[in-house]
Amino acid sequence: MFSLNNHLELRRVTISSLVTCIYLPSIVTVISYKGLLYSVGNASSLYILVLIFVAELMKSFYLNSNNDLHIKKKASKSRAGDIVKSFVFLLGVMFSFFVGIILFGAPVLEYHEETLMLSCLLTLLTVFPLIAHTGMELAIQLLFGVKNFSRDTIIAMLVNNALLTVCGAWLGAVVIPLDWNTPWQQWPIPCYLGAIGGYLLSNVLTVTKVTLMSAANKYPVLNIVVNMINRLHISK
Amino acid sequence: MKEKWNFILYLVWFSYLTLSAVLMFGQGFLLSRKTLNDVSECVPLNNFGCDGRQNSSEKSTCTEDIKIQRILANSGSPSVCASKSHRVVFVLVDALRYDFTELKHDNEQPLYYQNRLPIIQKTIERWPDRARIFRFMADPPTTTLQRLKALMTGSLPTFVDASSNFAAIEIQEDNVIDQIVKGGRKAILLGDDTWMRLIPGRWLRSHALYSFHTWDLDTVDNEVDSKIYDELMRNDWDLLVAHYLGVDHAGHRYGPNHPEMARKLSETNARLEKIIEMLPSDAILYVVGDHGMTETDSQEWKDLDGDHGGESKDELTAALFAYHSLGFSGDASDRQSGKEIKQTDLAPTLSAALGRPPPAPSLGNLLFPILPKMPMTHTLLHLTNNLKQMTQYLVRYGEESQQISLDRLAHLINSTRDQIDKAANVRTEEELKVYIFNVRSLMDNIRGVFREVWVEFDSLSMLRALLLLLLIVFFNWIIIEGIPIERIPHVFASSFVPTGLISMAVCIGICYTGHYLEIIEDLGHAIILSTGLISGTITCILVIMHWDGITQKWYEGQTQFYERFARSALFASAIILVSNSYIIEEGATLSFLSLTILGLMAWNIGNMKSLVLWVAFGTVMALTRSYRGCREEQGDCWTSGGDVATGNASRAALVIALGSVAAIVAVSRRHIGWRGYGIAIAGIFSCAHWAVGWGSLGSPSRSKMLARGAWLVIVTMFILVWKRDGRGATLPLVVSGLLFYLSNTLVLGAAFAPTAGLALISGFLALNIVSMLKSEGSVKFSLTTRCNSSMACLWALLASYHFYGTGHHATLSNVRWAAVFHAGDPNHTAFGTPISVALMFIYLFGMPLMFGATVPLLALWGRNGASTLGPRTQLTAVFSLCLKFALCFTIRVFACALSATIHCRHLMIWGVFTPKLIFEVGSCTAAFIGTLIGAILTAWHLPNQTRSS
Repeated sequence: MFSLNNHLELRRVTISSLVTCIYLPSIVTVISYKGLLYSVGNASSLYILVLIFVAELMKSFYLNSNNDLHIKKKASKSRAGDIVKSFVFLLGVMFSFFVGIILFGAPVLEYHEETLMLSCLLTLLTVFPLIAHTGMELAIQLLFGVKNFSRDTIIAMLVNNALLTVCGAWLGAVVIPLDWNTPWQQWPIPCYLGAIGGYLLSNVLTVTKVTLMSAANKYPVLNIVVNMINRLHISK
Repeated sequence: MKEKWNFILYLVWFSYLTLSAVLMFGQGFLLSRKTLNDVSECVPLNNFGCDGRQNSSEKSTCTEDIKIQRILANSGSPSVCASKSHRVVFVLVDALRYDFTELKHDNEQPLYYQNRLPIIQKTIERWPDRARIFRFMADPPTTTLQRLKALMTGSLPTFVDASSNFAAIEIQEDNVIDQIVKGGRKAILLGDDTWMRLIPGRWLRSHALYSFHTWDLDTVDNEVDSKIYDELMRNDWDLLVAHYLGVDHAGHRYGPNHPEMARKLSETNARLEKIIEMLPSDAILYVVGDHGMTETDSQEWKDLDGDHGGESKDELTAALFAYHSLGFSGDASDRQSGKEIKQTDLAPTLSAALGRPPPAPSLGNLLFPILPKMPMTHTLLHLTNNLKQMTQYLVRYGEESQQISLDRLAHLINSTRDQIDKAANVRTEEELKVYIFNVRSLMDNIRGVFREVWVEFDSLSMLRALLLLLLIVFFNWIIIEGIPIERIPHVFASSFVPTGLISMAVCIGICYTGHYLEIIEDLGHAIILSTGLISGTITCILVIMHWDGITQKWYEGQTQFYERFARSALFASAIILVSNSYIIEEGATLSFLSLTILGLMAWNIGNMKSLVLWVAFGTVMALTRSYRGCREEQGDCWTSGGDVATGNASRAALVIALGSVAAIVAVSRRHIGWRGYGIAIAGIFSCAHWAVGWGSLGSPSRSKMLARGAWLVIVTMFILVWKRDGRGATLPLVVSGLLFYLSNTLVLGAAFAPTAGLALISGFLALNIVSMLKSEGSVKFSLTTRCNSSMACLWALLASYHFYGTGHHATLSNVRWAAVFHAGDPNHTAFGTPISVALMFIYLFGMPLMFGATVPLLALWGRNGASTLGPRTQLTAVFSLCLKFALCFTIRVFACALSATIHCRHLMIWGVFTPKLIFEVGSCTAAFIGTLIGAILTAWHLPNQTRSS
């Protein structure tokens, strides 16, 4: 999926993934040391989402920087309108996540706050980076499969992140029915942490792969490992 | 088409193999005990004459001793009621472990549970002949309910106490309370309401409290305290039962080593002190723990502390403390503290203290060390009563059940009779001691024999059955997944199926011959084992013959992600049956998995319509959630009242039920031609059945008539479905699905009828999504897409889910029997039993039945379905789907059986794993029957055509 041809893009991808690998674990570590890990479902943990939001925004600025300037100029006219539109779109995505989570088995009549926080997080980690990177219209086209993205390294990475995040949240639900009576089995903590874990895993994989690919230039044996990692990626 | 009926025969063969292996497993695993309704009788001493005969004509007078001597000499005489009886105060301190009662003065730093009951040791030191403390050994399972049963009947309760009505919790056998009520004595109950559920209606006064709030340490104890001292002052009772729960609850909540436990034990100490002080002089006090609890261990999981249910030493060792102010019999060796006695011994002892014979099913000895002093003749009288009751039980059990071989039983009966004869020759104290010892060892022997058949699994047949299941699953999986689908018609047109059936017939013949020549003992097992093995061999040969095709297919095979996921989802749904928490929450798990599979399919299709369909499907699944049942282990949602019965559906439920049936019938009838009228009539009948029977204004008899009418129409329609019209199998299959839907609504009753509609709709939506799947290449219909295992897995998960979705749960106590009687009591008709069994089967497993019957639609449905193709292709597609669907259920049953084997000593084996196994087997059977109906319908309706398309 990744090619070594475009060195600039590859470096951006690596650095942004590295940043993620650093900032997300630090957030989780800090809140778990503060003893707030079990309150991630409450509205009081909104600051985590804000932190992630800011971080993702910075990342997307970095990823977009020095991008073809003429496009930017064209876009800057309707920038405010674009932001509002994207925001509305994000809200729509969040709502569909919300509905989807409820369909998958979250309580219908209660715990709305918790479900909302989870869908917020999922939106932030999946669709938001895409929109911030490509703009709303392209993101919609990507989402509905109108446009193919296989040539673009950055978008491929973002889609991969999104898929693994959703998978992580899905897998997180596995521990909920167990009768261990631990505080972290409360809805939606396992899914919340699973989503973060999936996102993190995806980034770690990206970093590893890029490292290995550059190393494989010297040691061709490593190509086997690269192929193995390639298989882990779900995106087409 | 030669293979047409070979397909069906192979499906039958497959179902036989699975079900026979499961049957074999069940025989080894489901321990059962026959419950007898016998009641011990005794004849008062006054009715005997001086010659030791009942109602004797001899009128001379003699002393009691001589009379008893004469009775003993007459070994055929019935049991004699003891002339002297005592009052008994029976204090049950739940989970009183033996070491709680010990007092060690040299223990400098006692743990929270040590040295907290000093009153017991003090009493023993002060009056050695008045008090006793023993280790009171329980038998597993050590749950309070089973223990109470054991204490009161003196028997060994098992999972299936096969009796006339095994859903009821009430003790069906003779027990101590029944005995004393029979003797005209009075009993009083204070405390845990488990007693009320076990033995209702026998109490003079009862004050029972709900006992399931395990976190409430004090309520029950305080209530009992507020009553017990008043009761002790009164004179009108003979047995006072007081059940304290605080210690048990403290153990469950905090574990034994906790300050709360110290508090509860100290309270118990004060209580015992006061009771001993107030005890009437003629009363005996027994303080008993029904089981122990596990030890606190900081290294272990924290929530395992203080629990019970298993069979570790700590859980089995309870304590028994006895006190009688006039002194007990027995010498120094008898009164030695900490001697081990069995819990089964309590029932006969208690009966003897109250002047009654032992309860009929008791397997216990009399414990003379905790019975008051009595003359030798009375001791002998009690002993012979016990022996006579035991002989009677042995004879009766031999008549009712073949669990114990007759030789063994006859030997035991003879030795008890010998002992009865010997009773008359006992003259001195020494002889009495030897005699008591002999009787004791004989009784222990008998108890051991019964224990062996009641408590021990037959691991050999369990393992064999598991092996057979594994063989079936493995080879059929290779056949159906490996052999290229183009080859399947040729395989089944060959002599494969006839060879298999003939070799099975040969096997059965050999087994019968062997049985006739008395080489083979167990005919059933031999047949199952040999047919299973020979089928395994034949399928194995088939696999070897087609190995080239299989390897080629697997080498080339490119499967879609959703297909791989569907397979792993099915395996996951089977594997998680090993964990009790997943079994308890299985409904949610299954809906989660099937939603994900369908979501991935929709993703694969990737258009708006599929997304909308998926959301609709999810909404339907979410709607069934409100109907899902609830079981005790789930906590919050559980109420002891049970569910709403059929007739008592609320007005809203009735409206929803009528609306759902009307809507489904109205929409569907337009698309199925003349058959629509039948569906409409049946729908109208069932709606009328609910409407007429509803509420207090309803007329039950008319409502039942209408239900019968509905059934009549359904059965007629089901016969009419077989009418060939040469237009393919899709329409008849849809109609049979609708008929199953209607019969489901009928048995589910108005309150749960909408769930059947929801299930139907969810199946319909899934079918529509499935039919939109992209196929590779330019062909409109692709066998590899429409017949791949993801369809079967999805369908099997849906079928399993809707067992929960229709409000059932895999527990025996959740089963509502009202379904049998909605159309009148079938037991009045000639075929009462088959009809009620069939109704109950549809009620419980109607969903697997419905989904099984509609499996062929997965291949045929839609514009690009197989129905446009040649009959041969259609049939192959349908067959491979049917076999895959059946295989899914076999895999689930195998997982259930495996988990039951792994957990056969687990705490929840009888509460969770075994019911799950039973219900899974039921679903599996229903799925097989449904699949067969679907497959036969398809084969029947396909035009006969010799050339393959």
